[in-house]
Amino acid sequence: MKNTNAGILWLKSHTTPFILSIPLLILAVLVQAYGDTLLVRIVTVLFINLVMVLSLQVFMGNSGILNFAHIGFMGIGAYTSVLFSMTPQAKAATLPDLYPFLRPIHLPFLPSLLIGAIAAALVAALVGYALMRLSDAAAVITLFALLVIIHTILVHWSIVTNGPRTLFGVDNYTSLGISTFFGILVIFIAYLFKETPVGLKLRASRDDRYAAASIGVNIVQVRWAGFVLSAFLAGFGGGLWAHFITSFSPYAFYLTETFSVLSMLVIGGTGSVSGAVLGTVVVTLLREGLRAVENSVNIAGVFPNNLVGFTEVVLSLLLILILVFRPSGLLGSQEIRLANTIPLASGKFSASELSRESSPKEGEHV
Amino acid sequence: MSDCRSEHSTAGELIIQNITKNFAGLRALDSVSLTLKRGEILGLIGPNGSGKTTLINVITGLLPLDGGRVLIGDVEITNKPPYEIARAGLGRTFQTIRLFRELTVMENVEVAAVSMGCSRKEAKRRALIAIEEMGLEDWVGRLASELPYGLERKVEIARAFAMQPSFLLLDEPAAGLNEEESDQLLDMLAPIPERKGLGLLIVDHDMRLIMRLCHRLHVLSYGKTIGEGTPDEVRRIPQVIEAYLGKTAVRG
Ligand SMILES: Nc1ncnc2c1ncn2[C@@H]1O[C@H](COP(=O)(O)OP(=O)(O)OP(=O)(O)O)[C@@H](O)[C@H]1O
Ligand SMILES: [Mg+2]
Repeated sequence: MKNTNAGILWLKSHTTPFILSIPLLILAVLVQAYGDTLLVRIVTVLFINLVMVLSLQVFMGNSGILNFAHIGFMGIGAYTSVLFSMTPQAKAATLPDLYPFLRPIHLPFLPSLLIGAIAAALVAALVGYALMRLSDAAAVITLFALLVIIHTILVHWSIVTNGPRTLFGVDNYTSLGISTFFGILVIFIAYLFKETPVGLKLRASRDDRYAAASIGVNIVQVRWAGFVLSAFLAGFGGGLWAHFITSFSPYAFYLTETFSVLSMLVIGGTGSVSGAVLGTVVVTLLREGLRAVENSVNIAGVFPNNLVGFTEVVLSLLLILILVFRPSGLLGSQEIRLANTIPLASGKFSASELSRESSPKEGEHV
Repeated sequence: MSDCRSEHSTAGELIIQNITKNFAGLRALDSVSLTLKRGEILGLIGPNGSGKTTLINVITGLLPLDGGRVLIGDVEITNKPPYEIARAGLGRTFQTIRLFRELTVMENVEVAAVSMGCSRKEAKRRALIAIEEMGLEDWVGRLASELPYGLERKVEIARAFAMQPSFLLLDEPAAGLNEEESDQLLDMLAPIPERKGLGLLIVDHDMRLIMRLCHRLHVLSYGKTIGEGTPDEVRRIPQVIEAYLGKTAVRG
């Protein structure tokens, strides 16, 4: 009895993941029931993007370190998972030189995804031990170098990746239902991680690493834990994406995708799971809208030449505007929650006083 | 239920032996030695630039030292990483306030207990006690970045309390406070060391506060110790009077 009460109390102060998930779930159900093929694809991609952006938020949002390597882990997860999920015949067709011990392996979808995620996490665990000692610009540059290294390996390790050429023959397992399930699961994981002891210590170290060290936080250790979890989820997202798109090359996991995922997170707000979700939804839908505009303009022949890169330019402009006028993103670092459920020890001031509107914007305090 | 009772509750004294620290050509600390007992309040004073903050920084491992040793009881903590020194029972605050600005007041304090190994539940309990001690109950749900200046220092102190340290080093806790606020701080701090068995070292330029609060004083000038003793003894030392010449400071 006491436990159920404690559980209800806990739920009341942690409404965020529910508030974020329910509209998305409704969207998925409606699209599944009434949507056409295109709409189903767009919403499937939305949830895969959600996995990628939230997994980035897990490390970057809580540690404050800009992580350019993220999409590299997506690539590792994608290639590893398809090596386990593809049929031996498909492998023989697209990867004729594959190591003999990998040829006969044929696992179901979910175990394959899991292996991809574990592979990404293992790589992160190994390199992270050294990388997590760095901060600021040194960390950013090194993580960017890591992206380049992972990309180079994917391009040149032809035996398992088909080199720079497209790998094809992957089964299309990632349905709308699957991507919805994992997108929402990752909302909960990312939110709960912030509230774990490690997540709390990591957020403290983001705000002030000297103060964090002075109260006993082992910064390298908490960063490492966040980095490995982030890579695990990115690897999982990579697997989901691979089994949606079914044929891809290493160039899918490079600068374009890095920019795309980063801009979703930055536009929504790096510091919160709510921001990450909002940014993903806004940018994904905006991109599809802009692309439709771009196509119809081209088909109608409004301009003598085809309009190219219109979508990218508008999204880049949006990113710049956000960085200038709302540097902490649309939602900043505060989570969306029901106004009267903020965990408080005393009720001496009203919930509206605490709402995020009253908090100063980034850069306002001196 | 306490799942993270301080394991250092029996630690002896904080012993600082012959600490030397150089910045390029500048000798910021020149063979400084002092001992801090649990339950006592020691004032560390000296003119601007005399090395007080530097001493706290080397003791807590934020800066490497160039000579000397630091011990808690018989446990050597010289040149250990800051987080290990903190876990050995040494807490501190900063002269330039360092709060976790995007965390709430509650989280700021709670995380100190969490990093000592407490579960979040136990950490919340500890944090609430520290928050009440500092009179911050009305601010628990606020972000640290929303606090007025005078409260920021209190949150820093509450955060350090939540670690349940054996020794606490406060770097100018009264800086920027008016007389009334500084008196308030004095009343809050005075009974705590004895009650908690905490060794408290206070750096401050507010001589009124220092003279009334401290059991003993340690005076630095240009990185050297120029006097030690009770407040009454110290204010009669000629070098101390000279270092503070022109200031009304030694008046008490
Ligand atoms: N990181 C640093 N690099 C170079 N010199 C430093 C550094 N930190 C302190 N110093 C110098 O060391 C000397 C001691 O400085 P410290 O900050 O310890 O003095 P303080 O006694 O705390 O002074 P105040 O009362 O102004 O806070 C000063 O001359 C200062 O300029
Ligand atoms: Mg100082």
